[in-house]
Amino acid sequence: MIVHSDEISRDVSVPAEAAPAIEVRDLVKAFYDVSGDRITLAAANVNFTVKRGEFVCIVGPSGCGKTTVLRILAGLEQPFSGEFRLHTSAQPAMVFQEASVLPWLTVAQNVAFPLKLKGVAAKEQRARVAELLELTGLTDFADARPHQLSGGMKQRVSVARALVDDRDILLMDEPFGALDEQTRLVLQQELLRIWERTGKTVVFITHSVDEALTLADRVLVMSPRPGTIVADLPVPFERPRDVVEMRRDKRFWDLTYEVWRLLAVSPEH
Amino acid sequence: MSKPYTLSPEQIARLKSHSRREKLHRTISYFSPLLLLLLWEICSQTGLIDRRFFPAPSSIAGTAWQMTASLEIFDHIWATLRRVAVGYVLGAVPGILLGLILGLSAPIRRVLGPIFSALYPVPKIAILPLILLIFGVGDASKYVVIAIGVFFLMFYNTLGGVMQIPQIYLDVARNAGGSRFQTFRYIALPSAMPNIFTGLKLAAGSSYIIIAAAEFLGARSGVGFMIWASWQTFAVSRMFVGIVVISAMGYFTILLLEALERKFVPWAKH
Repeated sequence: MIVHSDEISRDVSVPAEAAPAIEVRDLVKAFYDVSGDRITLAAANVNFTVKRGEFVCIVGPSGCGKTTVLRILAGLEQPFSGEFRLHTSAQPAMVFQEASVLPWLTVAQNVAFPLKLKGVAAKEQRARVAELLELTGLTDFADARPHQLSGGMKQRVSVARALVDDRDILLMDEPFGALDEQTRLVLQQELLRIWERTGKTVVFITHSVDEALTLADRVLVMSPRPGTIVADLPVPFERPRDVVEMRRDKRFWDLTYEVWRLLAVSPEH
Repeated sequence: MSKPYTLSPEQIARLKSHSRREKLHRTISYFSPLLLLLLWEICSQTGLIDRRFFPAPSSIAGTAWQMTASLEIFDHIWATLRRVAVGYVLGAVPGILLGLILGLSAPIRRVLGPIFSALYPVPKIAILPLILLIFGVGDASKYVVIAIGVFFLMFYNTLGGVMQIPQIYLDVARNAGGSRFQTFRYIALPSAMPNIFTGLKLAAGSSYIIIAAAEFLGARSGVGFMIWASWQTFAVSRMFVGIVVISAMGYFTILLLEALERKFVPWAKH
């Protein structure tokens, strides 16, 4: 069930008493495979809350159901049982795992895609797209085709497209997973910069502990399938963050150890 | 201090020699078909091959010139072209639309799919007598037989294209709040475009095969009729002109479609 509320606050600092943006209660997702007559429990009793303007990362082993949870929040799949509430005026925007950039459109047309579907006037589209291309460093590639872009550039396009119609909640499904480490670090830094400027509520899925600690206010650790949240760890680094400098902080490595320990002892099913 | 490494003139020449040889091969390749014609000409002139069945290319060219000068050939070309064009459009449009619809909707595909699978293997030429019976010997029967041939090629190529759409593209449209029609128009159609063009090219080729056969059997005009009538009167040179003309028509149709493909599917590799 989705509850829409219109009051939107933009607090980058996220005070402890901030209103919730996402509430997930006892969420269960199960699949039935007809040919093998097998039932797969993808996620079991998932509970968490994300405050407005908060950046939350969910880490877990592959196949733990973290993507499924995100797809349910994005309205792409239905939960089997349980409920979730989104306190927002619009469906959350999604940044997908792999290259989701549409190959038959130019970079600018890809970014404009949600506006086009909504029937926004062409002039308004152009202005908004120019703004987003600027924000994501793609201005010089506006007329390029996706096949001419590197993986990092393509994911910039995905991020710009998700931001273009200014929805409150951003869901990111391992958006930088396929990139090389160096490109990933650059994009993480830029994502933080964009997030600090726009104050969106972000749920970011990753299997990289490093990435989760770099980005998040809070890290939710998921168990292997059927996934459930086994820990909720606050990440204490002050903002704005420098993704390179953070790595000199001892707390970063203590937290890394802590999350790895949780992932390692998660019960096998 | 080390000097920057440079190649000697001999080494540079060695690097370039390979591509020079390639260029020569490519230049020769343009003329190799002409070599075949030359061989034919010589064999025919010297009587090495039977001139009655294989008149020399020069004599065929002479016949072609006469037919062009008398404008006779253009009547046949126009008749064939008109039949192919009308039948092609009549078959391609519903083929593409049904391919998109069945591709996007699993329920419709499950219910209607087997009907098309059952009808597809029927040879189009085999039902030509039936079509002549229903639509008469005029142009309508030609339109119909071509439309049927084109329909199935377009239907299956479009369907294949839609079935291959990565789920993620559909998710993108859904997450952006796209309606069913918008998903159809802005995701399914462009995704299937490369396959649609493959279908269009295949359909163009088979249209000319079908029209030639259809004009053999029941027509008083057209390039196919001209080939058949020439064979019956043993005007072998005219027959060869017909064969060359209809081949050229097919060739230029494909060239046109390839140009359209480059324009409308600029994202696909060519």
